[in-house]
Amino acid sequence: MKQLTLADEIVVLMLRDDTGEIEPARADCAHIAIAGGILMELSLLGRIDTDLSSLFIIDRNPVGDEFLDSVLREIAAEPMKRPSAWWIEQYVRHNGDVSRTVLRRLVEAGILRAEDRQFLWVFSRRAYPKNSGREEREAKARLMSVIFDDALPTPRDSLLLSLAEATGVLEGMLSSEEMRKASKRIADVLALEEISRAVRVVEANRRKALAAPVDWYVGMPRRTRD
Amino acid sequence: MNCRKFYTEHENASLEGFELEVRSEAADGVAIYRISGRLDAEAAASQGLQSAVGSAINGGNPRIIFDMRGVTLITSAGLRAVLVTAKQAAAANGGLAIFGVQSAVDEVFEISGLKQFISIALDEAEARSKLGA
Repeated sequence: MKQLTLADEIVVLMLRDDTGEIEPARADCAHIAIAGGILMELSLLGRIDTDLSSLFIIDRNPVGDEFLDSVLREIAAEPMKRPSAWWIEQYVRHNGDVSRTVLRRLVEAGILRAEDRQFLWVFSRRAYPKNSGREEREAKARLMSVIFDDALPTPRDSLLLSLAEATGVLEGMLSSEEMRKASKRIADVLALEEISRAVRVVEANRRKALAAPVDWYVGMPRRTRD
Repeated sequence: MNCRKFYTEHENASLEGFELEVRSEAADGVAIYRISGRLDAEAAASQGLQSAVGSAINGGNPRIIFDMRGVTLITSAGLRAVLVTAKQAAAANGGLAIFGVQSAVDEVFEISGLKQFISIALDEAEARSKLGA
């Protein structure tokens, strides 16, 4: 792997140092971020482009990374022009636990190592501790620079910020006071890229769908509930 | 006056017939790019616009104006090209100002919040004044 893709980077950032895993509660969110990261990477590589209503292919030539090329082929094969959010939802719906695929890539690249760990003496689970942690530190430094420098961010860094925001990585990096102070800058940067906005829409829809049964229950008259 | 013209062929039918034209001129320490057509990925990636702006900045002319009266549509890649130009110009102690934004492009600028980062002027005189020229 020559350079980490945005999908790789967000998985590195989401991995917990203590468990070597992505928090289970954030697994769905990770899938959305990975899907968004793939589209962002294809866009940065000049294979796809977007306008306000749709995502379209501009170059069908493979980029040389099967992880990205499989999505490029899917987009090229789709006869209709679809919005970015539609592609993110499609990818999440049809690709199962994509974070495992990314974790395997990162192990092959020597950035993570795979360890089987026991818990409750009986069960085993696969953990992915970081080897040097350099990639995580570099990604975090770039994020901090985007947030706290007034300079225009590079497209790649602004896209990474949007994935970090959508997955809750930023909340783990900044204190609530820092988040409050940086909120306008973060919102301004997040708005810049269409695929970033699409990731936020898909993630917001997911949260809304999760909350719907609770809202329905809370909205019921108390007597009916009991 | 330097005149450049780019033609691209798209596989996608909706993009057929696209043509981007850029005319550049330098006056009073400001490099002006009069752009018309569709500013998309191919236009942004083409050597013409990038190298023209790059050579102006490297040649000690980091105050850039984009005259976008003739730009009919801008995509994400086009927007990125604008941002990268602004970043390069700012790094060279200059800046980018834009004027003549048409409604379809203005909608993209509005939604993306580009106005938070880049000076948008009503006309060339205001664009010059925003750059201190």
